[in-house]
Amino acid sequence: MEDFINMILEPLKELFLKFKGFAPNLLAMLVILLVGIAFARIIKLVLVKFLTAIKFDSWSDRMGFTKLMRKGDLWAKPSAILGEIAFWLLIIITLMSGLNALQVPTINHLVGEFFSYIPRIFSAAMILIVGYVLSGFISRTVLIAAANNGFHYAKILAEAIHTLLIVLILSMVMEQLQIAPGIVLAAFSIVFGGIVIALAIAFGVGGIDAARRIIESEAISKREEETKDEIEHL
Amino acid sequence: MTDFYQTGIITTLHQLGKPSLERLEGDLLRFSKVRPIALVLPALYSEFEGPAMPGIIQELAKVKYLNEIVLVLDQASEKDFQRARELMSPIPTEVNIIHNKGKRITEVYETLSRNGLDVGAQGKGRSAWLAYGYVLARGRSDVIALHDCDIVTYSRELLARLCYPVASPALDYVFCKGYYSRVTNKMNGRVTRLLMTPLVRSIQQLVGQHDFLSFLDSFRYPLAGEFCMTTEMARVNRIPWDWGLEVGSLAEVHRNYSPRRVCQVDIATTYEHKHQALSPDDAGKGLMKMAVDICKSIFRTLASEGVVFSDGLFKSLLVTYLRQAEDTLMKYEADATINGLDFDRHEEAKAVETFTKAIAMAAQTFMENPMSTPLIPNWNRVISAIPDIFEMLKMAVEEDSK
Repeated sequence: MEDFINMILEPLKELFLKFKGFAPNLLAMLVILLVGIAFARIIKLVLVKFLTAIKFDSWSDRMGFTKLMRKGDLWAKPSAILGEIAFWLLIIITLMSGLNALQVPTINHLVGEFFSYIPRIFSAAMILIVGYVLSGFISRTVLIAAANNGFHYAKILAEAIHTLLIVLILSMVMEQLQIAPGIVLAAFSIVFGGIVIALAIAFGVGGIDAARRIIESEAISKREEETKDEIEHL
Repeated sequence: MTDFYQTGIITTLHQLGKPSLERLEGDLLRFSKVRPIALVLPALYSEFEGPAMPGIIQELAKVKYLNEIVLVLDQASEKDFQRARELMSPIPTEVNIIHNKGKRITEVYETLSRNGLDVGAQGKGRSAWLAYGYVLARGRSDVIALHDCDIVTYSRELLARLCYPVASPALDYVFCKGYYSRVTNKMNGRVTRLLMTPLVRSIQQLVGQHDFLSFLDSFRYPLAGEFCMTTEMARVNRIPWDWGLEVGSLAEVHRNYSPRRVCQVDIATTYEHKHQALSPDDAGKGLMKMAVDICKSIFRTLASEGVVFSDGLFKSLLVTYLRQAEDTLMKYEADATINGLDFDRHEEAKAVETFTKAIAMAAQTFMENPMSTPLIPNWNRVISAIPDIFEMLKMAVEEDSK
């Protein structure tokens, strides 16, 4: 009977000892989570106040970021959205740190991978922001230059260049984030190559007559020069 | 049948004989190919529940020449907005509804506000301004017509006559204001009859001949809420967001365009809409509020054109106005008598007293702060401050409509 009771109690004891060893880790995780959430809230509040103080929303309205947000059906203030992004990033980092405190090898490995991925996320975000500003600047420059030169389709040209640049930037972002890099590279090459070939064909086919005229006029002028020489010699 | 007398410095287009509505609409259909027409309707949801809006929808369902209708819906919940969409569905023309209290439009207002663009308080002025912006953003129309949504005697002839002068490429008008008689069994339109006309003429008496006063006095019904204009005008004109909307809009038309390109048209033989209470003891509502805002708008416009207002001038103005209004009152009494209309002399005199108080209040406010301006910036300035505002506005309306 005693053996039977020991048989039941031994696993329970073992479980208790394991839990006893694990409890400080769990407690550490809970503390990290609580502190992290509080910290994230404070950072969000401070960030939104700071962005409001430097009139970030107004700047964003003029630079086109607000329009970009609206296109994604985001109708809050840009500063509030940035505050939310910062909050959730901190929450994710807190969660990862908390999980790391559990000292479970598999989770530790995952957390390690996540933290090594963070620099990629930051560089992708930088590419996206700088690229978007640059593409807007370039398309506006093209629009002004083309319109000033009397080009009839200035707006369409500027929009086409803007779209192409955005495609290029998104490809770079996805490549940076290592999201199906092979497919992205192939798709980008096909799309960009296709556009270039289409333009080349359109220009080539459309310019056959013009090219013929240019070549013919070149040939005629050469012939005339040769004939002139003969006459002069005579 | 009306006379053919041309009033003042603008063109008056009378309703002579019995013009055929079919011919008018046929012409408008042709004109709309060259000059597409947008109709702007500033509406409250309560107007859908009353007799006015169902009648207007029924009439608009028969109109073929409109390019688009933009309805700005105010004081409506999300459920009311959906209901309004359903109610507008019998109209074959493309209808876009701007939900003024919707999340997205609120954010558009917020965007304007944080960029230092004060678009004022909720009301017809702000609604009309936003609708102009939406029409400009879409860039599909060259002419904008606007009428109130509380007209219970609405017929599509009103719309056709309102649009015709501006839509017609042969007539070179950029702005057209509607006029009509406000007669049932009695004369209505107290603010126009007993405030506007006597006040304008009193100021003329005191400061002498003035272009803007002559311009205002040329309109048979300067406070009519029905008008039609080119989209170009909607882009450059600023409009007030308070009750000075009609007078302020006329001031902007006068400032930016020649009176030769402005006309008024007889749009209805009878016109009946929601009546406002006189509210003599509360300057914050009713006709009293309306009168104060109108007076302020006139004073401000005149001051901006170089007229010097002083305490003495305002004191004289009150006395001159009272005399003018009393004379006007007697004229209307005679007019009512010969036509067998009811005429409550006491009520009319009470209205004059209230308007005198309103002029005094407006004068005081003006003297305290002559720079206070309830004008909403024009769209050119707004685009300059926020280049993407048209895109945002279009997205807001389109997303709301999904």
